[in-house]
Amino acid sequence: MSVIAELATELAKLPGIGRKTATRLVYHLLKQPAASVERLALALQAVTRSVRACSTCGNLTEQDPCEFCADQRRDAGLVCVVEEASDIDAIERSGEYRGVYHVLGGHLSPLDGIGPDDLRIGSLLHRVGNGAGIREVIVATNPSMEGEVTATYVRGALDGHGVKVTRIALGLPVGGDLEYADGVTIARALSARRDMGG
Amino acid sequence: MELSGLTIRNFRNLASLDLELPSAGVVVLGDNGQGKTNLLEAMYYLVLFRSLRGAKDRELVRFGEEAFFVGGRANGGAFEVRAGYESAGRRKKISLDGNPVTRISDAVGKILAVSFAPSDRGIVAGPATGRRRYLDVLLSLAEPGYLARLTEMRSALKQRNAALRRGRGDEARAFDEPLASAGARVLEARTRWVERWSPRFGALTAALGERAEARMRYRTHRPPTADARSQFLDLLASHESRDLRRGMTTAGPHRDDLELSLEGRELRMYGSAGQQRTAAIALRLVEAETLRDSAGSPPIALYDDVFAELDEDRQARLLNLIHETLPGQAIVAAPRESEVPASMLDRPRWRVKGGRVAA
Repeated sequence: MSVIAELATELAKLPGIGRKTATRLVYHLLKQPAASVERLALALQAVTRSVRACSTCGNLTEQDPCEFCADQRRDAGLVCVVEEASDIDAIERSGEYRGVYHVLGGHLSPLDGIGPDDLRIGSLLHRVGNGAGIREVIVATNPSMEGEVTATYVRGALDGHGVKVTRIALGLPVGGDLEYADGVTIARALSARRDMGG
Repeated sequence: MELSGLTIRNFRNLASLDLELPSAGVVVLGDNGQGKTNLLEAMYYLVLFRSLRGAKDRELVRFGEEAFFVGGRANGGAFEVRAGYESAGRRKKISLDGNPVTRISDAVGKILAVSFAPSDRGIVAGPATGRRRYLDVLLSLAEPGYLARLTEMRSALKQRNAALRRGRGDEARAFDEPLASAGARVLEARTRWVERWSPRFGALTAALGERAEARMRYRTHRPPTADARSQFLDLLASHESRDLRRGMTTAGPHRDDLELSLEGRELRMYGSAGQQRTAAIALRLVEAETLRDSAGSPPIALYDDVFAELDEDRQARLLNLIHETLPGQAIVAAPRESEVPASMLDRPRWRVKGGRVAA
């Protein structure tokens, strides 16, 4: 295989990129100044060499423990459980959360051969059980069927660990329009309605 | 409900059609294999966004082409439904009045139709799958939320079965909850419908000329009580070791049956061809009445060569019932005019040949 074809094959393995786009990317790269392409190559190398999973929470990081686990100003008694490290970015963007995280590395999906042993559930139990003073675990897995099942599984696994377990609320998007929300979302929002007092 | 305009591109043998439909409907004539059934299938695609005949989307794409498109204007242009499918990305795009829908279930049943075809006899005579499909299609169209629950039930079932095949009871158990909550709703809807419509099914079968008493009954492990969800959870728990041995979920709504009987004898096994045909037509009429009641107006009726196989008496009886239940738009397909009942011939004729339609 030519080096061009080889690179295209590698690029085509990326999510959302098909064979055609991969080939176009290769030819695009070949038209760029060599220095700029080398910077990309170096960045790729740096990422693979220096990024690893945080030994405490599983977040992808260059330092271990990661920036969140190491941050003394954060509330280490509050742990937010997410499916992927990329979910942490989303929660951080809210600027509302001051606790720490735990990355499961996916969700339960027997169809894809992913069971509880393939997720970082054991290390979560270890964190909760080792006297680190965790008071509450917020389960923030995706609102998909698999995400819900994983949440229930985590809830069950934490039984008897003397920790409060909560689930993030599901419902209508803020700034959205009820009229345009789909039926499933509205049904969820209705069943999770809250008392307004009075 | 009526279809006022229909646009078809590369659907089965239909390359490119832009058709206007009159309120009363049309009579579609053409030799076999020219595209009559495909035309009806394209219309019904706008109801369910799936093939009426159970074909896969990629099989619907015209030979040598990469995508198909079907669009329909309903009720004189009051709303528009479009559906497109691309083989390469296996992508299906549905839009309502030009706005793409994210969940197909949000667009299912906007256009309502009932299709009568000789192959319907298979619902009565064939395996339980066909009868469950009949119930599922009907309830998806008539009951808001049913299709979403059914889809949830199916995905939970797939995951649970995969866990069982891996021999993992704990993983399988994790999917009991979504399976039971969606499955309970499916079960409740099905049993409620069967109870409500069984007498009508009997009355229609009688009106079609059958002397023995016809009934339908929903056959399940345990009929649902007030708390169908915990009942289903119990059922799953009690079958778990068997499920693990077999590598599949052995009890639940996905294994139930709609039992059709004449004087207590199951039509599937003991019915004559004629009795099975009559029962199949009665099922379609019950479907039409259910849709009419839920939507407030009769659905579009698609008749694919159904009158020729009935004797004169039954044909007259069916026409009477149709007159009552399905007074709206009718698309009547047959090879020749002589095979269309005279009372239905007061509609414009379309002739279908080689995938083309001439008025």
